[in-house]
Amino acid sequence: MSGAASVAGNLPVASTGRFGAVVKPIVWLVAAVVLVEAIVVVFGIRSYYLPRPSVIASTIMATPGAYLAGLWRTFLETVLGFVAGSLFGVVMAVVFHRWVLLREMFFPLFVVSQTIPVIAFGAVVVLWFGNTLLAKAVISFYISFLPVTVNTLLGFSAVDPRQVQLMRSFGADDAQILRRLYLPAALPQLFVALKLASSLALVGAIVGEWFGDTTGLGVLLLQAMYNENVAGIWATIVVSACLGMGLYGVVAFAERRIVFWGGEQ
Amino acid sequence: MTLVEGYFHGAHAGAGGLANGRAPTRGKVVPGTVPEQDAADERPLIELRQISKTFGAVKALQDLEVSIRPGELVTVVGPSGCGKSTLFNILAGLEEPDPGNILRLKGVSSTASDLLGKVSFMPQRDLLLPWRNVIDNAILALEVEGMPRAEARRLAMDMLPEFGLAGFEAQYPNQLSGGMRQRVALMRTFLFKRDLMLLDEPFGALDALTRTMMQRWLLDVWQKHKRTVLFITHDVDEAIFLGDRVLVMTARPGRIKLEQAVDLPRPRKADIVTSPEFIALKKTLLEAIEEESMKSFQVAGR
Repeated sequence: MSGAASVAGNLPVASTGRFGAVVKPIVWLVAAVVLVEAIVVVFGIRSYYLPRPSVIASTIMATPGAYLAGLWRTFLETVLGFVAGSLFGVVMAVVFHRWVLLREMFFPLFVVSQTIPVIAFGAVVVLWFGNTLLAKAVISFYISFLPVTVNTLLGFSAVDPRQVQLMRSFGADDAQILRRLYLPAALPQLFVALKLASSLALVGAIVGEWFGDTTGLGVLLLQAMYNENVAGIWATIVVSACLGMGLYGVVAFAERRIVFWGGEQ
Repeated sequence: MTLVEGYFHGAHAGAGGLANGRAPTRGKVVPGTVPEQDAADERPLIELRQISKTFGAVKALQDLEVSIRPGELVTVVGPSGCGKSTLFNILAGLEEPDPGNILRLKGVSSTASDLLGKVSFMPQRDLLLPWRNVIDNAILALEVEGMPRAEARRLAMDMLPEFGLAGFEAQYPNQLSGGMRQRVALMRTFLFKRDLMLLDEPFGALDALTRTMMQRWLLDVWQKHKRTVLFITHDVDEAIFLGDRVLVMTARPGRIKLEQAVDLPRPRKADIVTSPEFIALKKTLLEAIEEESMKSFQVAGR
């Protein structure tokens, strides 16, 4: 146990205390890593099934450039798809809210579009857009807009009709009511969807890379798999997890700053 | 239904002397004067006649007649479900009465939707926006009108002390007590300067002590700003204490059952509620309301 702890002490993730506010989760993370390390060692789990965290860390440190390049590429694809998907999601929610006929006509199509497995869709996207960053961003976009639309509509429907009447009695037109009432009121719901969409967009980007590319976390994952490089697979998983948590953290941080009033209506 | 015409509160509205239905009123200038439509010169700010409203099988209002003169504070009481809120929604321009009605604003016949944006309306709940602080909630209507934010905020800042909100401008609604939230909502209504203010049980959700404080405060503010107010309430004391006239509505379908002038001198002190005149008024009104409540109770029980 003490040996495992000393190994964990050498891990790069052990650099605690840099952000006062996030010390606690980091301590827990380190504890979890140490625990996994201990379990792997104590139970003699073969590295084929689960390499020791220290091995995973040293795999990353062996070729940090490859992981950083992959991280950056996948990050760009994800963010592009996420931002575009979120904007499109909100715009479609506004359109569906404003024109009920359009909602009745097209909203079912939206839902159906999400039942097509993204893998099946991915091949077509790569055919259309080639092996470009854009192609992956499109897959991210495709996979992330629906929760945004659905939740924004949910937020709109939760607006108190008396509030709308009050705005009308002030002589407000539809655009003013949308900007001053519906959109802010939907923010709490919207952020729930954005957190979900940020994770989905990452999935979209990684899956998109499987259809062919030269850099990216998805590519690293495939390469490691073909080479039966188990430590490499796990290293990519860890980097992807960091990216996912980072994106989620940014959205959650924005949520705390923007939706300071919580769900109170 | 005869209007009680003998009483007119001379301290406001600029209509000097007694307003007698026939007598021409001299020197009365309504800004943005509209052509005279009929001979009646003591022109009500707003006049409703033969107002009915049916929702499916339910007749909420039937042949309701109300007329409000400029500067008056008219209170409306009635049993619950008597269509008070429907009346308010019509006056706020949110609902159209059944066809065949007469609705005149400053003597010009109008539809209810013409009233949209012409009446400042305060619903029962404060309906403050949780993401706006006190000052920005108060200026909501001004913003909708297109006034620049900085200017609107300046106007509102000047009004804060009067509404007992000085120093609270940057607070958010969830940091305020019920009474303060209600004052913010009232301030929003006051800042939306319109000829008619509609207040729908604004103090209904407050505790008794806060409510009396708010009533006295409202009278102060009203006398200073000289606004025409229609005030809905459940509370007979409140109706008498505040009003120039009290309208009692019948059980559904709502009509005006009784129109009672309140001749108590202003400014009214808190202890006026124990004066014999007040008690006598209360007795008359309570009897009328009681009768209607029993009626609606029996209808419900059948």
